[in-house]
Amino acid sequence: MNTILTVLKKELKDTLRDKRTLISAIVIPALIIPLLIIGVTKLQKTLMAKEENKQLKIALIGYPENIKTQLQDSTVALFTNFTVATGKEAISKDSLDGMIEFSTDFLANVNDMKSGKMNLYYKSTNFLLSSRISEKLEVIKSQILNERLKKLNISTETLAPFDITKVDIATAKEQLGKTVGGFLPYIFIIFCFTACMYPAIDLITGEKEKGTMETLLSSPASRFQILIGKMLTIAIVGLTAASMTIAGMVLGLKFLPDIPADFLTTINNMVSPKFIVMLFAMLIPLCLFFAGLLSAIVIRAKCFKEAQTLVTPLTFVIFIPAMLAMIPGVQLNWQTAFIPILNIALATKEIIAGTINMGQYAAIVLSLIALALAAALFSYKQFSKESMVLK
Amino acid sequence: MQASIKKLNTTSMIEIQNISKQYSLSKKQQKELQTNAATINAVNEVSFTCTPGSVFSLLGANGAGKTTTLRMIATILKPTKGDILVGGESVTENPEKVRKKIGFLTGSTNLYDRLTPGEIVQYFADLHGMDKTIFEQRKDKLFTQLGIHEFSKKRIAQMSTGMKQKVSIARSMIHDPSIVIFDEPTSGLDVITANSIIELIKQCKQDGKTIIFSSHIMSEVDLLCDELAIISKGNLIYSNTMKNFRTEFAHQSLTEAFIDIVKHDGKNFAKA
Repeated sequence: MNTILTVLKKELKDTLRDKRTLISAIVIPALIIPLLIIGVTKLQKTLMAKEENKQLKIALIGYPENIKTQLQDSTVALFTNFTVATGKEAISKDSLDGMIEFSTDFLANVNDMKSGKMNLYYKSTNFLLSSRISEKLEVIKSQILNERLKKLNISTETLAPFDITKVDIATAKEQLGKTVGGFLPYIFIIFCFTACMYPAIDLITGEKEKGTMETLLSSPASRFQILIGKMLTIAIVGLTAASMTIAGMVLGLKFLPDIPADFLTTINNMVSPKFIVMLFAMLIPLCLFFAGLLSAIVIRAKCFKEAQTLVTPLTFVIFIPAMLAMIPGVQLNWQTAFIPILNIALATKEIIAGTINMGQYAAIVLSLIALALAAALFSYKQFSKESMVLK
Repeated sequence: MQASIKKLNTTSMIEIQNISKQYSLSKKQQKELQTNAATINAVNEVSFTCTPGSVFSLLGANGAGKTTTLRMIATILKPTKGDILVGGESVTENPEKVRKKIGFLTGSTNLYDRLTPGEIVQYFADLHGMDKTIFEQRKDKLFTQLGIHEFSKKRIAQMSTGMKQKVSIARSMIHDPSIVIFDEPTSGLDVITANSIIELIKQCKQDGKTIIFSSHIMSEVDLLCDELAIISKGNLIYSNTMKNFRTEFAHQSLTEAFIDIVKHDGKNFAKA
């Protein structure tokens, strides 16, 4: 045990002096993530507000005068000197936001209680435009409808046989769990894995490439002790990155502008000792699994570049199940509880939402421990081969 | 394993008994070596002994099997056949005990770039379970002897090859091993650094340590060695004391004698 600790102590000291590891495991997750969350949200809000307050430039073709009057207000600038062809060209060049072309019999049909036809030209990339114009037209539409119903002496209630009032009984915690809950594990799994990658390559392939592995193998430390010391270092770096990512995300969410009060309370409550213990009980074996897996792979490489080539495809194998957890409908059950990576992502969602099934949670933790042990054993088998450890 | 192999010759510190090291060849390697053989013998039934307190030199051309032999003595590689007794311990049966007795210096001068010399020797002292006080005394002695004190605060990445090699030597000697294995210790070093290493080897000999080293530089061999062996293509082709070697090849320089022996595979070479 002392030898393992000696190896661990040295590897940690060596790793923590490496700027690349520090940046990927601490700086990016702890500083960049909260800044990104706050920055992106603020930017999105600013852009949305700008888009919503922007005066729309709309061209009207074959319009009835009363409709033009109803559409006219300070948020819209109406133009009547366009043809369909010039209007389309103007929209494509962004000098117009949209164009409404009324059919020649539009007014006659409306007056005859028939449907008046109109074409709305716009760019779907201008995502708020369609809804803003539709909202305005809906107001005119409902006014005409009300007039028709009045004329026919029909109550508006006749057209609404029932009225639905939606009452959402999902708590803020559940809502947060099912929304942000999917995103959180995706991010911390990515950061955890990528943070493990560099020390794994540096401590194993790097040592092999430099030739220092040979000296280390001639010391009284056994191969098992050396490997475990290195694996623990890799896992600690991964765990640090995952913890920093979670802390960074929580911090980012807490300082989000205009966050609803109940969501803020939920975020504050989320970082409870229970949540931390439950999360770390999964994260620790996950990091050890990553460390074992990466060690077993990078030991095959003769140099840093070769190790990177070997490890890159593995990134996709790890990321895909983490991404699956964000798809609506993919839920934690007895099948998904045994799919590595996906299980930890789904369980995190459930823990945040407070709806975790403890039986399934125990199965996930045990399966992750089994996986970590299998990865360590596999890694040890590779590490025991002379052809693997020497250049 | 035969009982006769296990028993250490009382006059030898390292006893190499009929060791072979075989490697499997991949298809690519077979193509490169232009052979159909599935295996290759890097070392083939080699036997020799090193007397306690002597300097033993292992000579051979590049790829002769010197490093493989030294790696087997250092327990990094396991012999495919035969055994090696180091201070009475078998490398195949008790590699951990053997590793406690030896100090191994590889041909590479690379070290941990982000650590200082003090941290590196401390790491290896801890792996050897050294007492703190003894470690400090030993470190101070080695650092003074090798002139490391003046750059002891620098990180390895900022050091020259010579400085690194000095730190490598301090690292392999920190636990005061009774057997020291040097694989081309002066290779690629400047004359001053090489000389300080030669002086250290001499000091080791005075301290009663057994030293086995490989080298290409015949002047070093002449200066330091008590015994020598020559390996060619994995086979031991010559083994003798330095005294007998000098007598045997009195009319030739050491380099000429070495070339002659290798050329003739250790047979029918021109003796004095």
